[in-house]
Amino acid sequence: MSATHDDGWRVDAFVDGQLDLADQLAFERRLETDAALRARVQARRDASALLREQADRHAAPASLRQWVAAQAPARAASATPAPVASLRRPGDWWRRLLPARALAGAFAVAALALLAVGLAGPPWDGQQRLVDDVVASHARATLGDRLVDVASSEHHTVKPYLSSKLGFSPPVDDAPVAGTALLGGRVDFVDGRPVAALVYRHGAHVVDAFVWPEQGADSSARFATSRGYRTAHWRRAGMAHWLVSDVNEAEFGAIVEAMVRAPAGR
Amino acid sequence: MGNDEDWRRFEQLALPHLDAAYNLARWLTRNDADAQDVVQEALLRAMRYLHALRGNGARPWLLQIVRHTCYSWLKENRPVDHVVLDDLDAQGAELPAPADDEPPALAIRRADRAQINAAIAALPVPFREVLVLRELEELSYAEIARIAEIPVGTVMSRLSRARALMRTALSAPARPPLRTVPRASAGGGLA
Repeated sequence: MSATHDDGWRVDAFVDGQLDLADQLAFERRLETDAALRARVQARRDASALLREQADRHAAPASLRQWVAAQAPARAASATPAPVASLRRPGDWWRRLLPARALAGAFAVAALALLAVGLAGPPWDGQQRLVDDVVASHARATLGDRLVDVASSEHHTVKPYLSSKLGFSPPVDDAPVAGTALLGGRVDFVDGRPVAALVYRHGAHVVDAFVWPEQGADSSARFATSRGYRTAHWRRAGMAHWLVSDVNEAEFGAIVEAMVRAPAGR
Repeated sequence: MGNDEDWRRFEQLALPHLDAAYNLARWLTRNDADAQDVVQEALLRAMRYLHALRGNGARPWLLQIVRHTCYSWLKENRPVDHVVLDDLDAQGAELPAPADDEPPALAIRRADRAQINAAIAALPVPFREVLVLRELEELSYAEIARIAEIPVGTVMSRLSRARALMRTALSAPARPPLRTVPRASAGGGLA
């Protein structure tokens, strides 16, 4: 093993602060007289510093923290003891999220409102794959560099762009609900086909509205979750609509309601 | 989860390291949704094995479970990423140290956030994990050895190789970072 090779790990260990005391002292002594070694140490320090400054440190998302909170043993207020949560049970994981106090009331009202106007259907019993697919597309887009292909808050810019790329004309809503802004659109892929994705910002969250032509009668919104993201699906005027976001329950419901009600064929 | 006592202990010991757990899982699975799935599974295991945690060292303990869960997940879902480790270790010996006249510091300083993240993500998993644990989580070699279940010497050689791969990736900004390809001729073991 060459001396250079030997120094490689020693430089690393020195910069990482992992040399024992005796070795560290010996190395420091060498640095006093060895300019080339000093340069290598500096280069390693710079490389580490740059990596630490620039590399992403991913903090646990809110949905993960909520899941953790839901694992706490059931308090006296809950009717049933909380079993270990399954990882992918659509629709009912949220029931354990809300403390049995303040939020439950507001949500119950929202849920009733949706049910009353026939906008909320029964929970999914199938098509989990499609749910996972739209969630995966949403996650990919929000975590990667390419959130939109065309950045505009105007439907008369976004709509023709997507039409030209897709061969169908997706209905585009500028601002379905207060606090939601259209960021633009992109072509994405769901279930192996190219679809339109309309991207909205709602507070700190991104909402993706996927649209593609689908035969069949109009249907009411059906909700499902996957990996902490909320989804809703409905069909209207020959278009399948899928909404995906990690906004909270009540806001998601409000956005879905607004989009379902929006005038068709804008 | 068992009783309140166990949960309190779990909250105190494991939850402070939730971000570290997620960060590691996210870097290994390279996908937010998958990372969440893995961390959830790891936390469920951690709850079960809480009794095995003694003294301090809750962070390496949790990260060891997360890392183990990631590897199981990768083996099942991304077999391509689930690399055979011995071959990679043997290749470490063939890696030349950087020449004195090479200006790596300058080239690397120009690299931006996206390039650095892409370069890390392109590293084979065994190199990526030690780099993340050292540079981002600032764990000691001994702790990394425990988490990755490898000897300290292997931690050091993998770190050295990971850093060399990063240097290569970042000193050629015009090209996308290259994924290493196992060499046809395995060299001798580390001298």
